[in-house]
Amino acid sequence: MKNNIFFLLLISVLIGTSVSVKAQDLLKIIDEEYPNTPQYEIATFKATRLSIGQSIENRKKGVLQLMVMNRYWNLPNNVQTQSFVADKWSARFGLEYGLTDKFTIGGGWTSLEDTYDGYLKYRLIRQQKNSKKHFASVTLFQNASYNGNSLEDTFSKKLAFTSQVLIARKFTPNFSLQIAPTFIYRNATAVNNDSNSHFAIGIGGRYKLANHVSLVSEYYHVTNPITTKDTYGAFALGVNWDVRFLMLQFQMTNTRSMVEDAFILQTPNNFNTEDGNFVFGFNAVFTLN
Amino acid sequence: MNKISFLIFLFSTLISFSSKTDKVIARQGQVSFFSYTTAENIEAKNNQVLSIIDFSTNEIAISMLMNAFVFKKSLMYNHFNDSYIESDLYPKATFNGKIIDLDITKEGAQTRIAKGTLNIRNIAKEIEIKVIFENKKGSYSLTGDFEIIVKDFDIKIPPIVAPNIAEIISTKFIFEYQPYEK
Repeated sequence: MKNNIFFLLLISVLIGTSVSVKAQDLLKIIDEEYPNTPQYEIATFKATRLSIGQSIENRKKGVLQLMVMNRYWNLPNNVQTQSFVADKWSARFGLEYGLTDKFTIGGGWTSLEDTYDGYLKYRLIRQQKNSKKHFASVTLFQNASYNGNSLEDTFSKKLAFTSQVLIARKFTPNFSLQIAPTFIYRNATAVNNDSNSHFAIGIGGRYKLANHVSLVSEYYHVTNPITTKDTYGAFALGVNWDVRFLMLQFQMTNTRSMVEDAFILQTPNNFNTEDGNFVFGFNAVFTLN
Repeated sequence: MNKISFLIFLFSTLISFSSKTDKVIARQGQVSFFSYTTAENIEAKNNQVLSIIDFSTNEIAISMLMNAFVFKKSLMYNHFNDSYIESDLYPKATFNGKIIDLDITKEGAQTRIAKGTLNIRNIAKEIEIKVIFENKKGSYSLTGDFEIIVKDFDIKIPPIVAPNIAEIISTKFIFEYQPYEK
């Protein structure tokens, strides 16, 4: 008798658990039915520029991006300044267009140096989730720039070229890191014994502070800098804020130019808060579908 | 000894009973959502939604990857995944529940209530959805629509975007089922 009661209890427990577990079981069955399609990482960075330099991101097919980049700084020892906000202002107006999902073309004009630049960006590898083979994203970047203020006499001597292999990985949903080996070739040098070819390495990161705000920083180190004048590595610390079709990028930096070869190679001042060294930057990026 | 054999017998019947159940699966179910405001209309579609119905219990489960939603504008896709749904942290949305009074032998369409738990961003909500179940000579389909209140799932929308995103999102689904074989 005692055994029978125990037995009935056991049965009721068994039936009870088998019923209550059922609905969850269906979800478990479904989980195993997901096809093994690659899951790409989205938004390693959100803009095509990390802050001052290029990021691995590009624009999708048919998307046009308009960007206005501004740099403001004061002149050192300028006692009689009457300027509003800052002594100097330089702006770059640029367009970017996605020919395909992987291939983007772009170009722009910078006011102060009268520099025209054009570039191609190709997204070679996209990082995939839980993939040992595709653990990072790789984008190739090639630009050419024409410096209208250059003292050289021929067109070709005013040209410079920058090639970059941008490698980035989204480590966590909030944190991404980018390394950018860079090669710069200048057609002309100020002094003959200065090198035409330069190597640099860029490192940059993004930390997502909130859903629409991220902290970014970048640094470029030139392995063989220009010998005829003192130059410093390009540095930026900034905040990116994005909503809908607009992204605003604010940065504190020591770079005044916005074209790759110029700011990586020819930043004449270190980063500190003194007049002439401290540059405030502000990019407005509009995306039109 | 007798009792032990009886127990084994009971176990095996229980197990065989549960594995014999008739299940159907939809592997390319469609779920789409719409946000209508005077400022902007947003819509997105997911064509890779999974769903299983167990006919022995009338239980249903639905599961989808949030990053499989396709938008007209690529930037919206980025914002949806990165800033609103946070699909890195919460990759899936699921529903599990029961279709009440479902009679699969009945030919043609029947309107029923599906009662269960909707889970988005790890937030579970009990909901009831009016569904139309159709048996067309042994091929089954399930369609319906329902509304999601954005606030219920802790999706933060900054004030500057508020006029562009509806507070209530209307959602539609179509599933076509095939026999499920393991």
